[in-house]
Formats: sequence, structure tokens, C-alpha cells
Amino acid sequence: MLLVAGVTLIVVAGTHNLRQRQVVMQKAQQDQVQLTPASSSDTGDDPEAKKLLGQAAPSFTLVDLNGKKVSLADYKGHPVVLNFWATYCGPCKLEMPWFQDLQNKYKDKGLVVLGLDQDDGMAVKEVAEASKRVGVTYPILMPDDKVSKSYQLSDYIPETFYVDKSGKVVEQTIGAHSKNELEADVQKAIASGGM
Amino acid sequence: MTCAPSVAQEIQLGPAAAPHKAHVELLSDAVEVKAGEPQVVELRFRVQDGFHINSHTPKDELLIPTALQLNAASGMKVVDEQYPKGSTFRLPLGEGATLDVYQGEFRVSVRLVAPKGSSTLTGLLKYQACDNAVCYPPKTLPVTVAVTGD
Repeated sequence: MLLVAGVTLIVVAGTHNLRQRQVVMQKAQQDQVQLTPASSSDTGDDPEAKKLLGQAAPSFTLVDLNGKKVSLADYKGHPVVLNFWATYCGPCKLEMPWFQDLQNKYKDKGLVVLGLDQDDGMAVKEVAEASKRVGVTYPILMPDDKVSKSYQLSDYIPETFYVDKSGKVVEQTIGAHSKNELEADVQKAIASGGM
Repeated sequence: MTCAPSVAQEIQLGPAAAPHKAHVELLSDAVEVKAGEPQVVELRFRVQDGFHINSHTPKDELLIPTALQLNAASGMKVVDEQYPKGSTFRLPLGEGATLDVYQGEFRVSVRLVAPKGSSTLTGLLKYQACDNAVCYPPKTLPVTVAVTGD
């Protein structure tokens, strides 16, 4: 009798755990659907699409909103976030205030965030107004096709590269991500490439 | 009015070798109207599943509105275009952002005066597509519609 009761208990517990796992898996899948681009083959979260992962971030010199030249080399020894965005991109503008918060939070760790605008033919003044409306004060750099090519950008944005202190790309993402995910990637860049 | 589905080709803005991304297609390629007086024809478009494009009147001035630019053939006059209202779409991140968009099929009503016989209405649909997580650069869809005036 006791043996039968024990076996029954084990089966019921196992079934309950299975159901719990199924619920968790289902929720995870739903979350994934929400945050993954509709063209799943396009997503940069596909490891095959992370072409620069582990490589040195391509060098560049671009012009900021004040006409000042800004080079990636200027930030040697700093963890750097390179966020490609555009004024017409809603998901980009959701992320940008979070990057601003993270730059403020990890300022003492030397974190630098650079926003690389990808608008085609938009005046500096308009880009400046847009970034002001989004609420970011980190440097916004005007576009250059050479940089887009060297970073092997896809046809869509946002795309973000997390560069460690040694200049290596430690994470590469396409599409908007939650603030927690951005922070985890920022922490990865801060923790890597110790100098 | 006759509407035969057909997929129009988009202008390729990127490198020739780049994968082609078509997010909107034209569903109407032929219409029949009464010749010589103003008639309203509906041009049907369809946004690819999983994507949205801004409506003609997006809430944010930074967003690029969907707009049709028509070139009437000789003897045809385009009076005006009426765009449908958009639907509300909220980005599923953080507190999200509310957008005014077209998803699935949408129809632009064009008031025109067509001559008797066959003529062609051509133009461009300018739009900018996004999904839940990414946005694509502004694109242009060529529009060609055969108009038969009876």
C-alpha cells in the first residue's frame, strides 16, 4: 500500500514539475517572439550573424553634432558601446534613454556610449533635435557609409556593438533589447579586456 | 472596378548583392471606371505579416509617413488621395511607445478622371517599415495600375 502511494506521489510530482517547466518554456518562447525581429533569419542574435564578435572593433573617425572629429581610438582603454540608430526608428529611441542611464550609472567604470546616426541625408540640426527629444547627451556621430561597411551592418537598426577596454567586440546585437539585457552586455564590456 | 492581385517590384536601394526586403506589395493592378467624370478607385496594398509601416499621419513628426505620389498619364487627372486611418501599435519593450501604423491590407482611395479607353496610372508609394524590434530604411514601391475608362 505504502509502495503504491509512494509511486503515485512521485508520478504526480513529476507531472507537476513537467507542467511548470512547460509554462516557463512557453513564457520564454513568448518573450523571445516579442523581442525578435519578424525576419528571424535577419536577427543579429543568430550567432552566425555576429560577424565581429571577438574581433577588434574597426577603427573610425566621424563628426559629432558640433562638427568635432571623434575617433574610436580616442576611447582606448574604455569600455565603449557603439549604438547604430536613426531618427525614424522607434525601437532605437526606446533603447537610447536606457543607454544614457547606463552611461551615467557606469561613468566611474569609464563607460562611453556613442550613438552612430544612420539617417540618409538628414541635416545635423534635425539629428540634434531628435537626440535631444530622446533625452540623450552622449556623443551622436553623423553617418558615413565606410563605417557601416566596416561594421558589416545589416539593412536594419538598431545594431549595437559592445567593445571592451582592449578594443575587442565582446557582444553584438541587432534589434531593441530590454534594459536588463543592455546592462548585462554593458557589464560584459566593462569586465572584459582588463588593462 | 477590377482588382487583380500582383506583386510589384520594389526599387532596390542597397547593393545589388544585398538580400531584397519587400515589406509592402500592391494588390491592385487594374481598375475600370466611368470615363470623363470624377471616380474613386481604391488601391489595395498589403504589409508583410509581422511588419508595420507608419500611417499617413504618424504621431511623431520624426517618423516617416506613408505617402503615395501619383503621375497621371496623358488625358487622366488625379484629383486627390484619401488615406485610411492607422491602427494603434505599441512596441513591446519597457513602457513601449504608441505608434499609428498600417498592418496587413490597407487601401488608399484615389479620386481621378480617366479618359475613355486604356491608360496607365503610375507612381510611388513611400513607406518605412519596422517590426517589433528593428526598423528598415525608408523604401519606395513603384505603383502601376492599368485604368480602363468605359
